[in-house]
Amino acid sequence: MHSLKDYLRLYFIIETQYIKARMQYRADFIISSIGMFFSSLATLGIFWVILGSIPDLAGWSFMQLVFIYGFYMIAISPMQILFDHIWQIRFHVQQGTFLKYYFRPLNMMFYYMSEMFDIKGLTQLAAGIVILIYASIRLDLDWTLPRVALLLLTLFSASLVQISITVLAGCAAFWVLDAYPVLGLAWKLREFAPYPMNIFDGAFRFTFTFIIPLGFVAFYPSQLFLQPEDVSSLVYFSPLVGVGLFALTYWVWTKGVNSYTGTGS
Amino acid sequence: MSLIHIKDLTKHFKILNRREGLSGAFRDLFSGNYRTVEAVAGVSFDIEAGEIVGYIGPNGAGKSTTIKMMTGILKPTGGMLQVNGLMPYDNRIRQAQIMGVVFGQRTQLWWDLPVIESFKILKEIYKVDQKMFDRHMDMFNELVGLKALYSQQVRTLSLGQRMLCDISASFLHNPQVVFLDEPTIGLDISIKAKIRSVIKELNREHNTTIILTTHDLGDVEALCQRIIIIDKGKILYDGDIKRVNALFGAYRTLKLQIDDFTAATLQTLTGKLTEKFGAEHGISIAETEELWTDVTIDQARTPLSDVLNFVMSNFGVDDVRIVEISMENVVRKVYDGALK
Repeated sequence: MHSLKDYLRLYFIIETQYIKARMQYRADFIISSIGMFFSSLATLGIFWVILGSIPDLAGWSFMQLVFIYGFYMIAISPMQILFDHIWQIRFHVQQGTFLKYYFRPLNMMFYYMSEMFDIKGLTQLAAGIVILIYASIRLDLDWTLPRVALLLLTLFSASLVQISITVLAGCAAFWVLDAYPVLGLAWKLREFAPYPMNIFDGAFRFTFTFIIPLGFVAFYPSQLFLQPEDVSSLVYFSPLVGVGLFALTYWVWTKGVNSYTGTGS
Repeated sequence: MSLIHIKDLTKHFKILNRREGLSGAFRDLFSGNYRTVEAVAGVSFDIEAGEIVGYIGPNGAGKSTTIKMMTGILKPTGGMLQVNGLMPYDNRIRQAQIMGVVFGQRTQLWWDLPVIESFKILKEIYKVDQKMFDRHMDMFNELVGLKALYSQQVRTLSLGQRMLCDISASFLHNPQVVFLDEPTIGLDISIKAKIRSVIKELNREHNTTIILTTHDLGDVEALCQRIIIIDKGKILYDGDIKRVNALFGAYRTLKLQIDDFTAATLQTLTGKLTEKFGAEHGISIAETEELWTDVTIDQARTPLSDVLNFVMSNFGVDDVRIVEISMENVVRKVYDGALK
């Protein structure tokens, strides 16, 4: 049996080796990292151009929107960096290579996800941190120690929301022949996450709040920092949403793993 | 208590009865029309520590379903299954610690990493202490020449090298039982021999139980003292290999391409062979594919060389091949009562 410490140590050992192996393809590593950095900035650029020309969006100032965007970029990075292997699950399931994950004395989600570490996601994370700091300076936000702690907690929860939505979509591979459309949809939808939910009409807002809770990836938790005196009670649930959703995801994953029978041979 | 104890084990799969065509596919979406397939239909056996058991049977016989239950992937539908006193499906993580598995051509090593790093990661996963690790790595080096491959990425290994690495890796944590599924598939003769000798050596080293599934009867002959034949989910034979060995060893099939082949040729051939070798010749003839005639010979009764000489001097033969009896033929012969 492995303790949490064993798992962290193991993860560190595997990823160090993985990164080392990646580094051997130096050009690939450098180009994809730079590419990711600039694509993050480019998306922000578009955001900037469109929203910079209007004074506010549904009551949110431009710099507040930048803050939400920075929060969003940080929140989606752990999915990108740590859970990227979910994209391969349909191949493993279809071709029977998924069987090998049963044979080690390890938690299967851990073992499966540990096989990939997306380094270029780190540049996205870095870009998000820069943007968040820049926006909070411009907004003159007051960072006391408890508020920093709250920020870390909400970021943790928000990234769990993003991880859960994507991994849940990937789990479809256990039951349908080609889970790609499901996963692709989940991935596309996240582009709605950096916008204030009140720009969407009722049905969409309801969906993004309660069904596919993208609102909890960036917008709702950001409100705790942008207008702490005036938030709906829903916002206080954001740390719980991430944990609850991840628990559900883990349950579905376990169901899938237990019902998988492999290919013939 | 045996290491592996299986009693009346069954596994049923529910399979949707599919309809034809696009409209059928749509109706299937809402169909509750399932049929039950008995992949494993009441299997019982016990395996003791240190045994090498060949678990064989044709495709779809229920072999891999049994293996998947023993390795904790599938939950049995009924019956008793214990490995080292525990039910694998309910204790997957604990059981994985005492098992090693090599599944066909799918490597379990880390594709992008050098070979030695895979072994180091396995050392951490199974908590192998440094002393045992060093001792085992030395042993693998002696058997396989592993050191020469240490710095190579797994993806750059040849199939044979990779299989040797995978087999070594499955023994690293000194498991009580190792499952080898088609360990020699797709490999050439010399590597096959090497792999067989390595498996034998590893079995001897720690008295590790090995369960081997294979289509290659050569593997079975070289490694197993005991063999279990399964077909249609049921055990056909479980016992000493020597009796079955007579089947593998004795039968050879002579494939002939005869000049001016017509339907009458088969009859003429049968007639002449009976005339020459008598009624109890143990030879059966069949046309299996176009232009090829299969003459299966029980060498205990009639030497293959005699038949070959006779045919060559009496018929115009374009091409000849000699093949060993196939798994499917062994199973058919067992059905026909060859072991009774």
